[in-house]
Amino acid sequence: MPIFRPEDEVKVRELFDALERPVELVVALGPEETPLHGARDVDFGAETVRVVEELCALSSSVSCRVEEEPAGVTRFPAVLVRPEGEDVGVRYDGLPWGYELSSLVGAVLEAGRREPSLRPESLELLAGLDRDLAIDVFVTPT
Amino acid sequence: MLLAYRCALASPRITAAAVESTEFPTLAEEMEVWAVPRIVVNGVPQWDGAVPERVFLERLLAATFG
Repeated sequence: MPIFRPEDEVKVRELFDALERPVELVVALGPEETPLHGARDVDFGAETVRVVEELCALSSSVSCRVEEEPAGVTRFPAVLVRPEGEDVGVRYDGLPWGYELSSLVGAVLEAGRREPSLRPESLELLAGLDRDLAIDVFVTPT
Repeated sequence: MLLAYRCALASPRITAAAVESTEFPTLAEEMEVWAVPRIVVNGVPQWDGAVPERVFLERLLAATFG
């Protein structure tokens, strides 16, 4: 089954056409935690590869590859979103499906911008940051 | 979710990950995820729910890990 409805696919193609720089998606595969009851029939790693490959097929500016247990990744599967192939710490842990597919599409769009899309006052605040922050946003697919 | 990604893209000191709760149930339980989105910073739960950019930044920079 395709991941997008035809009308959504057209929309995503249009959005990806506007990318200002190439974005690489790296699917990180490795040992997976046993998911909650009811989800056990899904091969999360294989499905993540499928979703990411379909996304890449929508634009020549989006490329993808699969890597087994890349350094620094502890949760699998994961999708690393890399502007111009650079690891900037943007990641989706798990299979991006349902509503959360839009989070991955959004990550690609953000990574495809040459300039940060935060407001100037926010950038000013971040410029003064004197510690490392790892943000995890827990989501659900529905 | 996008605000977290935007912060990571804007600062080399920040990383941002969406974590699909149902696929990582042990971690989700440790982080006491009952509502989403739940925002966790440096392994410590901070708040639930989507907030405007200004509030997100304020809360992020005020995050405590004690």
